[in-house]
Amino acid sequence: MDYKDTNPEVDKSKLQFVQRDEKIFDKKFETKPVGYFKDAMIRFVKNKTNVVATVILFTLITLSILIPTFTSKNYTTLEPRMAFLPPRVPVIENFGMLDGTVYVENQQIVTSTIDPDTGLGIPDPTRYPTDYINMDTLVNYDIACSEVSENCSGGEVNFANREADSASTFKAPGNFFPALADLPFVTVDVSELQLSGGSTLSVLVNDGSGNYVSIGDVTDVGEQSFNIIDAVANPDDVFFYSTELRFLFENSDPSDYVRLNAIELSSNASTDPLYVASGYDLATFETLDGTGRLSRFGATITMSSFEFDAYGAALGDYRIDTFSKAEYEEIVQSHGDSCSVINNPDNPEGWYLSEGCPVREVVSTSEPVVVDGVEYTSYEVIMNYGLYAGYDEVPYYLAGTTNTGRDLFNLAWVALRTSLLIGVSAALVNITIGIIYGAISGYYGGKIDILMERFSEIIARIPFLVVLAIAVAYIGPGITTLFIVLIVSGWIGVASVTRTQFYRYKGREYVLASRTLGAKDSRLIFRHILPNGVGTIITASILSIPLVIFTESTLSYLGFGIGHGQSFNLGPIEFSGVSIGVLLADGRAEIISRPYLTIWPAVIISILMITFNLFGNALRDAFNPSLRGSE
Amino acid sequence: MLRYTMIRTVWVFIILITILSINFILLKNAPEYPPTIEEQREIYYARQVSDGYMTIELERDPEMVETIRQELRNPAESDEYTIIRNAWYRDEGDQFRIYKPVPLINQYFNWVRNIVTEWNWGVSTRVQANVPVYDILLSRIPVTFQLNIVALFFYIPIGFALGILAALRKNSFLDNFISVAVMILISLPSFVTMTFLVLVFGYGLGWLPVQFPPADVTGTIRYTAFILPVLGLSFGALASLTRTSRAELSEVLTSEFLLLARTKGLTQTQAVLRHAMRNSMVPLVPGIIASFVGLLSGSVIIEVIYSIPGTGRIFIRAMTQNNYDFNLILGITAFYTIISLFAILLVDLSYGLVDPRIRMGARK
Repeated sequence: MDYKDTNPEVDKSKLQFVQRDEKIFDKKFETKPVGYFKDAMIRFVKNKTNVVATVILFTLITLSILIPTFTSKNYTTLEPRMAFLPPRVPVIENFGMLDGTVYVENQQIVTSTIDPDTGLGIPDPTRYPTDYINMDTLVNYDIACSEVSENCSGGEVNFANREADSASTFKAPGNFFPALADLPFVTVDVSELQLSGGSTLSVLVNDGSGNYVSIGDVTDVGEQSFNIIDAVANPDDVFFYSTELRFLFENSDPSDYVRLNAIELSSNASTDPLYVASGYDLATFETLDGTGRLSRFGATITMSSFEFDAYGAALGDYRIDTFSKAEYEEIVQSHGDSCSVINNPDNPEGWYLSEGCPVREVVSTSEPVVVDGVEYTSYEVIMNYGLYAGYDEVPYYLAGTTNTGRDLFNLAWVALRTSLLIGVSAALVNITIGIIYGAISGYYGGKIDILMERFSEIIARIPFLVVLAIAVAYIGPGITTLFIVLIVSGWIGVASVTRTQFYRYKGREYVLASRTLGAKDSRLIFRHILPNGVGTIITASILSIPLVIFTESTLSYLGFGIGHGQSFNLGPIEFSGVSIGVLLADGRAEIISRPYLTIWPAVIISILMITFNLFGNALRDAFNPSLRGSE
Repeated sequence: MLRYTMIRTVWVFIILITILSINFILLKNAPEYPPTIEEQREIYYARQVSDGYMTIELERDPEMVETIRQELRNPAESDEYTIIRNAWYRDEGDQFRIYKPVPLINQYFNWVRNIVTEWNWGVSTRVQANVPVYDILLSRIPVTFQLNIVALFFYIPIGFALGILAALRKNSFLDNFISVAVMILISLPSFVTMTFLVLVFGYGLGWLPVQFPPADVTGTIRYTAFILPVLGLSFGALASLTRTSRAELSEVLTSEFLLLARTKGLTQTQAVLRHAMRNSMVPLVPGIIASFVGLLSGSVIIEVIYSIPGTGRIFIRAMTQNNYDFNLILGITAFYTIISLFAILLVDLSYGLVDPRIRMGARK
C-alpha cells in the first residue's frame, strides 16, 4: 500500500496548535448535552413510518374524543324509520357508488301492478313505495316455487299417496250443475304418470242418487275425456243434476303418481268449458280421505329486482293508523301557517294539510274515548317523516345506519372512545400493579423474589377462559367481568419487565453509594432505580394497551363484555356500552345483506391496532438502542 | 438436565392442580343450574348423590314442610331462609326429600377421587343433560385438534420461509413489503380477518363453504371447509413467526462467526444453512410451541364464527347467560389448562434440546 495515497503531505506551516495560550478545562460545551429522552426522541423521529403511524394514532384518539362531543346526535334514542340505511357519501355519490340506494333482489311482485306497456310488475307498495323505485333498473323474472299459494302460477300437480296399498279421494272445490241433456264430459290432461300394477286414478261423479261412481280410469299421458252420462243409469229420471268432481287414487306403491296439467268440465252445448282447474286451482283440491298428497311441479313465481332509494323512502310519507289528536294539534300549532287545512273533496271524513306540514293528510278520525274524564281521539294520518323528524335535507350517513337508526360513522367513534377508555384504564391498573409488584420482587430479591415469581407464574398460567368462566359465574357478563378478565393476568408482563430492570440497576455503584449515605429503600426505588428503567417499562406498558383493547373487543364480540344498554360513569361523563366489539357483533348478524355494518368498525379497529403497534414498536426501538434487526 | 426436567414437571403438576382446584371450588360455590326437565333433574340429583356431592335428607316435620313450601313459592319474601342454596327440595306430599350439597371440601375430595379412580368428570347439566362431560369433550376435541394442527403445519413453513427471505434481502422492496404485511396481519383481530375471509371467499366469490359442514356431510367439502378457519386462525401466528424469525436470523447474520464462516470459504447458502439457521432456531422453537397455546385459545372465536363443532364452541354454549353448565365448563377449562401447561413444559425443556450450549438447571 502506498503510504502517500492515504496521507497526503501537508505543508507544515499550515499546521498550528488549537490552543497554546489559553486553558480549556473550564470551557463550556458548545453543544447541548443529549439526555436519555432526547436521544430516544431523535431515534424516534428518524423512522418516518413510525412518525406517520403516531400522527394517525393521535388523530384517531382526538377524533374519538371530539366527534361524540361535538355532534348533537343523541345515542340513546331509537329511530326505527332510519334503521339500516346504506352509506351515502358526498361527491362519491355522483359516481353511482355509495349514493344511498340499495339493490333489492327477489321481491315478489303484486300481479295487479303489472304495467301493460312494459309488462313489469312492482312489489308491495307499503314495503317499497313506488316513488322510490328506480324504474330503469326494475327487472322481473320467474323462479320455481312449490308452495300452494296464489302467487305461484302455472305448473302441474302430482296426485299421489303417502303409503302403499291405500286409496284416497281428491275433490275439486264446489258443486257443478251441468245439464245432462248437453252430454257433459270431464277432460283430464295428464302430462306424466307412473302406475305400477293395480294402481289407478279414476274419475268419480254423482250417479244421480248421491252415490259417486267411476266413469273411467286414467290410463295414459295426454288428454282423456269421460262422459258423465255413463254414471247416470236413467238420465230421464234425474230432474235436477248436480255433482262434485272427485278423483279416486288407488296405489300399490308409494312412489306411484299421476301428474296433471288441467282438469276441465265441459259440455257439447258450448265451446267454453264450465270449469277449468290448472296450476294453483288443482293444488287446492281437497283430500277427502286416505293419505293423499298433492304437490306442485314446475310452478313459477314472478320476482322483481330494482334499485331502491332507501333514504327517500325513509324520509318520505308513511301511514300511522293511530295518531293522537293532542300530538296532531301540537304539530299543527307549532308549524303555524304551513299547516292550514285543505278540504278533501273525495274523503269527507278527512282533510289535507298544506305543503310543508309534517302531517300530509288526515285520512279518518276515530270515535273519542273517554278515560277518567279526559277525551282521547286518534287520527289515521299520512305523515312525512323528513319534515316530522326535522330533516331539512337528506342526511349523509357516511357509513350507513345501525338497526336502531343511529349514524354508524359517529357511533363508531363513540365505540372507539369506549374501547380506548377501557383499554387505557385497564392498562393503567395493570401498569400500576405491575410496577409495584415488579419493583418489590426485583429490589428485595432472594426468598421474596422466588415466592413472588412462583405466584405470578401460577397466575400467568391460568388460561383466560378459566378466569372468564369464574367471573361470568359470579357476576355475569358485563363491564366488571371484562375488567376482571383484563386485569387478572394483565399486569404480569409489566411486572417481569420492571423486575428485570431492577435486577439490572440495583447493584450499580451509584445505588450502593446512595445506600451508604443512608438512603431508604423507597428513595432508592423511586429516585434511583425506577427512573433508569423507565424507558423499557413505558414501552412495555404502551404495548400492553393494544393487547387490552384486543381482548376487550374479542370478549364484547363474544357477548361477555359490555353490550347495548349498558353504560358506566367515569366522573361526570357517561359512557355508552357500545364498543367496537359490540358493533362488530351486531354487524355479524347482518353480514350477508348489509356488510357495511361490519366494514366501518373493522376498518377503525384495524387502523387503531396497526398504528398502536407501530407506535409501541417505535418507542421500543427508541428506548433500546441495542435492539437490532427488528422493527 | 434430568433434575431440571423433574423439577419443571413437578412444578407443572403443582400449577395444574392449583388451577383446577381453584376453578372447581369457585365454580361449585356459584349458584348451580341443574337440568330443566323434571325427569332429567331427578337423574341428575341421584347421580350427584352417588358421586358424593350431595346427601339426601327427609324433612317430615309438618311445620317445616309448610315453611319450605312457602319459601319455595315466594323466595323473595321470607326473611330467614331455611332453604339452602344449590339444594333441591322435592315435594312428596307430607314430606320433603332434600338433596343437600355436602361441604365444599368434601365435594372437592370426592371430585378428586372420582377423577383419579374412575376418570369421572361429572355430567353436563344444560348443554346435553346427564351426558358425561368426558364423552362430550371426546366428541369435540378431534375437530379442534385437527383445525389447530393443520393451522400449525400451515403457518410454520410459510412463516419461516418469509422470515428467511426478508432477512436475506434485508431493506429491499420485498423485505419492506413483508414487514408491512406482517404489521397489518399482527394487528388485525382474528375475528375481523375471519369475518372478511368468510365475506369475500364464502359469500362474495362462493369458492368456499360459508360455515363448517355437519359431521354427516361427505366429499370434498370436508376438506375445503378447513381452508378458511385455518387461514383465519394462523394469520396472526404466521405474522409473528415471520417477524421473529426475520429478527433472529438478521441478528445472527451480522455476527462474527458467520463472517468467519464466509472467510473460511463457505458459500453464502452454506453459511446460512449450517451456521445461521441453527443458531436462530434457539429462541424460535420454544416460541412455536408457545404459539400453539395461543392458537388453541384463539380458535374459540374462529369456531364460533365458522360454526365448527369443537371445544371452543361448546364452551361458549355452556356459558350462555343464565343457562350455565358448570360441569362442562370445568371439563373444558381443564382441557385447555392441561394442554397449555404441557406446552409450556415442552417450551422449558426445548431450550436445552435445541441448543446444547444451554444446560438447564446447571449450577454456575
